[in-house]
Amino acid sequence: MSQHDRTHHATIATGKGDPQCFAGAAGGPPKFKVGDRVRIKDMPDIFYTRCQVYTRGAVGEVAVVTHESPAPEDEAWGHVDKSEWFYIVRFKQRDLWPEYPAAFANDTLQTEFSERWLEAV
Amino acid sequence: MSHDHDHNAPAPMVDEISDFEALEIAVREICIEKGLFSAEDHRKFTEFAEHIGPTPAARMVAKAWLDPEYKKQVMTDAIAASKAVGVDYLNPTGFGTPSDYTDLRVLEDTPTVHHVVVCTLCSCYPRPILGFQPEWYRTPNYRRRLVRWPRQVLAEFGLTLPAEVDVRVEDSNQKCRFIVMPVRPAGTEGWTEDQLTEIVTRDCLIGVALPKPGVTSNIELSVHRAAKPAHH
Repeated sequence: MSQHDRTHHATIATGKGDPQCFAGAAGGPPKFKVGDRVRIKDMPDIFYTRCQVYTRGAVGEVAVVTHESPAPEDEAWGHVDKSEWFYIVRFKQRDLWPEYPAAFANDTLQTEFSERWLEAV
Repeated sequence: MSHDHDHNAPAPMVDEISDFEALEIAVREICIEKGLFSAEDHRKFTEFAEHIGPTPAARMVAKAWLDPEYKKQVMTDAIAASKAVGVDYLNPTGFGTPSDYTDLRVLEDTPTVHHVVVCTLCSCYPRPILGFQPEWYRTPNYRRRLVRWPRQVLAEFGLTLPAEVDVRVEDSNQKCRFIVMPVRPAGTEGWTEDQLTEIVTRDCLIGVALPKPGVTSNIELSVHRAAKPAHH
């Protein structure tokens, strides 16, 4: 028999959904709030991440505090015992792409990060 | 005695299947054998996946245009608001529809902000309420270019936005799923929910088109008339 519990996820999420099944699992309040300026850390990632390279090092503003969930870098390996807060961060396109036209300086891009990727500016 | 060397062998009963189809069958059969889900569950999931489409999301937008109270629920708890348009995110599996997460967010356009959705990492898409992705949504071309040159890509879809309208790209990369709520277009005054639902096409809900009275589908399919039509 396999040592891996293949029904664990279905068991914890039944009747609640995912990420709702991880509510309260971060063990505390979110570190950042809507409007906070944050920088995306450029951390090494081995084998799996959902933090896009084009956001590394960029500074943006927290637009939404979304939910708690294990970070994908852990969950990909079945590690769901630790959760983190997630944030949708809004960037000015000009801060992501140097060549983005100045005529559209107010264009923005939003994407989501787990707390480990963010640092206060 | 006839010799059994048949030059007109019948075609095989089953077409050749790809490696991925063989893999899917193998994994599915192991899952059923191990009791992870039953063959009956699998049939239900498959039928679920085959019948979903963008209509519930279109109706959600139309209802929200007409009913400010419903709109509040859509903006704060879209999963709960989905029930009013016939989508229960926890069914049929009980923990989220097959291979999708249960955190739906609605991006509200204004006269000065236009949203458009992409998943640069793969093809994340709110399937329970919007059906399956169009093929272009999954292509590396759309995924790579939309984040960097959104106005140029939108123009390729026929949507040229003036400089006064800011473009906001949503790169859907985690467990949140998104639909766009466009601004209700002029010329729809007094319309019913059904009429409004018709013009909120799939492309409007992704953000690569804007709703327009009279436009009820994303592509015009040319109809070839029958040369010898049957008379009923």
